[in-house]
Amino acid sequence: WGIAFGRYGDSPQRNGIPAKDFAIVADSKEELEQNMARYEPKHVDVTICVDDTLSKGVESWAWYGLQPINRLTVPNGTVLMTSLQSFDQLLEDIHKKDAPYKLSLIRAKASFSGLWVYKEDHTEVRILGALAKIAPSFLKLAGVCEAIAEMEWGSDLKVASARKSYDRLETREVKLTEGNAEIPYSFEMPKWWEMREGVTIPAIPIGKPKEGGQGYVPERNPYFKKFTTRTMRPVIDFDTCVKCNLCWISCPDSCFDVMPDATFDANMEACCGCGVCEAVCPVENCITMVNESVFEDNASQWEMWRKDKAAYKTWLITKIGDKKATARSHGFRFRGQYEEELKRDLDVGGVEIAAGIPGENAQHKTAGESEGA
Amino acid sequence: MAVVTPAAPAASDEKELLISGSEAVAEGLTLADIDVVTGYPIRPYDTVIQAIAKKISGGQLVAEYIVAEGEHSQFEIVKHASTVGARVFCGSSGVGWAYAMECLVVTPPLRVPMVCLVGNRALDDPGAFGVEHNDALFVRDLGWMLVWIDTSQEAIDTTLIAYRVAEDRRVFLPLAISADGAFLTHSQALTLVPSKEKVDKFLPRYDRGDLLLHPDNPITVAPQANEDWVIEIRRQNDEAMKRASTVIEEAYADFRKVFGRGPENPWFEEYMTEDADVLLVGMGTISLPMKVGIRNMRAQGKKVGLVRLRWFRPFPTDKLVAVLSRAKAIGVVDRDYSFGSPFNSGVVANEIRAALYNAATRPPLLSFICGLGGREVTLEDVYKATDLCYAAANSGKSEARTLWLGVRE
Amino acid sequence: MAEATTFGNATQILEPFRGIKKVTIEEYFTSGHRTCQGCESALVMKLMVKASGPRTIVLGSTGCMYVANTTYYTTPWVVPWMHTQLGSSGSAALGTAAGLKALMKKGKMKAEPINVIAFCGDGGGADMGLNGISATLTHKEYNCLILLYDNESYANTDIQVSGMSPYGANTTFSPPGKVKRIMHTRWKKNMAGMMAAGHTECRYVATVCASYAVEMMNKVRRALTIGGPTFIHSLDPCPKGWDYDPMLSHEQGELAIETGIFPLYEVEDGVLKYYGKTKAIVEGRPRKPVREYLLKQGRFAHFTEEDLAYFQAKVDEMWDKWEVPGVVPFRRFDAAKAALSVK
Repeated sequence: WGIAFGRYGDSPQRNGIPAKDFAIVADSKEELEQNMARYEPKHVDVTICVDDTLSKGVESWAWYGLQPINRLTVPNGTVLMTSLQSFDQLLEDIHKKDAPYKLSLIRAKASFSGLWVYKEDHTEVRILGALAKIAPSFLKLAGVCEAIAEMEWGSDLKVASARKSYDRLETREVKLTEGNAEIPYSFEMPKWWEMREGVTIPAIPIGKPKEGGQGYVPERNPYFKKFTTRTMRPVIDFDTCVKCNLCWISCPDSCFDVMPDATFDANMEACCGCGVCEAVCPVENCITMVNESVFEDNASQWEMWRKDKAAYKTWLITKIGDKKATARSHGFRFRGQYEEELKRDLDVGGVEIAAGIPGENAQHKTAGESEGA
Repeated sequence: MAVVTPAAPAASDEKELLISGSEAVAEGLTLADIDVVTGYPIRPYDTVIQAIAKKISGGQLVAEYIVAEGEHSQFEIVKHASTVGARVFCGSSGVGWAYAMECLVVTPPLRVPMVCLVGNRALDDPGAFGVEHNDALFVRDLGWMLVWIDTSQEAIDTTLIAYRVAEDRRVFLPLAISADGAFLTHSQALTLVPSKEKVDKFLPRYDRGDLLLHPDNPITVAPQANEDWVIEIRRQNDEAMKRASTVIEEAYADFRKVFGRGPENPWFEEYMTEDADVLLVGMGTISLPMKVGIRNMRAQGKKVGLVRLRWFRPFPTDKLVAVLSRAKAIGVVDRDYSFGSPFNSGVVANEIRAALYNAATRPPLLSFICGLGGREVTLEDVYKATDLCYAAANSGKSEARTLWLGVRE
Repeated sequence: MAEATTFGNATQILEPFRGIKKVTIEEYFTSGHRTCQGCESALVMKLMVKASGPRTIVLGSTGCMYVANTTYYTTPWVVPWMHTQLGSSGSAALGTAAGLKALMKKGKMKAEPINVIAFCGDGGGADMGLNGISATLTHKEYNCLILLYDNESYANTDIQVSGMSPYGANTTFSPPGKVKRIMHTRWKKNMAGMMAAGHTECRYVATVCASYAVEMMNKVRRALTIGGPTFIHSLDPCPKGWDYDPMLSHEQGELAIETGIFPLYEVEDGVLKYYGKTKAIVEGRPRKPVREYLLKQGRFAHFTEEDLAYFQAKVDEMWDKWEVPGVVPFRRFDAAKAALSVK
């Protein structure tokens, strides 16, 4: 018996905003019934994550506070992730859990498709193949391959992909001691008589100068931070900034704090990584979008730069350099783009990126061949 | 037709006018110094807007007067005016009220104390002008307060009481005054109009307080919420409606103090109920033929009384049960319908059945449908209902069905 | 109006920002909203109140900028904000302005000009709310701005076709199929043109695009300063509904203007002024072919050459045939042509 449903609170799903879906396979109608008419199960045997930046935790549309990616995973259950990172790299981000569990990796990049143009990167069949390995009790590889072949969207190539991921799945035990020790910020719900009447809440207060009457830092909503949405973050070279204000005025999330020297520091708790700032920045190599997974924290880049400009430059170059290998496709740009990208190397899934973000101004960003355009 | 209301001797500072129910409401609105009023034509309620328009053009009332392009906008405009602190009024009838429905459902959770006049009118189709109570009853479950009146005097008095109750910070809920189409909205009667001084003593200014939408009180109103919040928000409204009962009793007590008249019992009018074997129950102008019929039947030695329900929301459960339990039989006459409901009854009959469920003594209850589409309720209807009630009283059994009175068959 | 002698219609005097460096530094719409990555409409909200300043009340009708933008406990608004129903932007603006005016006129509230802005999406504005907006634009004694943020679909409910969706667009209510490739065959409403032509006492109507932030903010400031009910139509690229890389929101907006699909203009006291790249187009600068815009969006991925040609022809008509190019679609009766056709 089975049932599948999306987390209703995440619907409609927002572009780039994490969203959850569930599938329940039950041995009996009784067990199935217990899991019906729910928004989400209390626990799952397998947590599947197709974007490894979510290993830092998720704040989806449907709830308040940051939730570890392994939150619903049962003791000795499995977190299945598509990633090119090492186990240890990922465990720096994934929060500690009060029980041991398994981390299984499919070597592939994050899967991103638009609403109308689907990127056939085989992620869905790789997941099915891996599930057959993780939970043979309810999913046999033969059955999976048979099902894929029957599907409207199925193909022999996809069957092959499922088999490959079954064979190549990497799994490792995660001990109680392992993982990110940080306590995720949480939110306590007030009682009905503690809530303001008339469905009202206080507005956000007006912001303040950064320091000494200089600059400006807007107040930000304390209950919802958008950064877990981020798959890439802007890295700013303050030395080349011409203070044109374009990133600041163009940011839909008001994430740029104005610094006393009139440069702009992207607040990493507010930035959701859309990349508009890079697109509008007139200066080569001033703002560069870099894969979120190479960053450890949300610390201020400007403060780092102010403290030690040379050290910052080195840090900057490493991060941007790192992007060569790991920058991600971020959405539809032109017809035939996805097909082109998939030709590269289907095996690792997604697109092998030689340089920069796919797109018009990418060639200015780093040397080498450019995607798109 | 002019209905002669037995009016209390006019206090020196009250003037007595021959005015319709709608005009009486307009007098009340002028005394309450409303700030924003919106109108859209539909009969019969629209006579109140005509009266208000004259008050404004004549300079007796200063208010923003907006003729909207439909009831939906008509109610949204006053809703928003109220959130910035304005005392507002609007109203409608029948399908006009239905057209505004989306805007009616949002006012209770927003805690908007708008006061409206519903000139009760049958719903389309066919487009009858006459009275039925189903239009106002649309909002009975939504957090609206609902009160029915039966004379011009009650129209003006209830208008003043309505603002006093709705705008009380403990309540902040919308309130609809229901007046029967034609029989009240369009019928003139001698009416006492109190002085502005006394009204100011009785009715404080509307203070939106911490809910005021203004740059000096920056708040976000009605952000979208899901299962994490909504049941708590409903619970808050439940509490506000419960508090309304206390506030209503305070308001009527003060009204008597300030104006030296007005009913002891806010909730319903009791007419010859003390020794009554049969109690008839109804809302609105149905009381007028009933009172005449009751006097005639009393002359023949039949102990009949009337309970005319004013407040339907909040519903005066305990007080009503206390009175009804005394009778040998109860006859509820609905000027509305609830097709397919228990016993195929009207709305009021089933509410009273529910109220009596836990009562120690439950007299037989008969339910009648009468006067739909504005059909006149005749003395014959009243006599027939009473006789059937007596039969039930003697047999001690309720008729488990609903009888339609005055229908051709 | 006799009333004007007792109580004026004062507005805040908001001078245009002279360049991006002069733009006010404060944010009145900040973080906390849950919109998509690269959401242009969220940017429009930010710029709108940046332009209007702190003494402003904002009313938001149902849509993305309600549901995604302002959820319980996670407001991004610094200025007072209130939800209004889907079709109610017009009546919300009117009611708020009327309430303030009544209270100030009667001395129940400190008299000061407070900006009232109601926004609506294309569904709430051009479909459901059209009658309310139209009525409000005739109430000249109330100061309020209605801003329509047009992302060309019911984006919050999962991208369904609206009266403002472009011809042929793929939406969840108009999915291209094997038998029917084009499910949405209606042409987009000419909203700003309709508002300007139909409401002769509305003193200001403008179209804007946030790709040109400073100009956009200055149109808002003009609309609020001139007084009475005013209307602004903003075209907002939508990364989810249009299907493109979020970082390219601004480029999508620029292309909409450069291809002539969306003209930028303002109508002040009946006088039409084109501005920005639209002005150049009117003065003869060639328009970019619409394919440069359409092929960059997934929602048109099913378009054939034939569809592209049809779309181009319709846009050419706007500029070559309309009596007032890009604004008023009437054609003059051509006597010469008529004579020929008789023979």
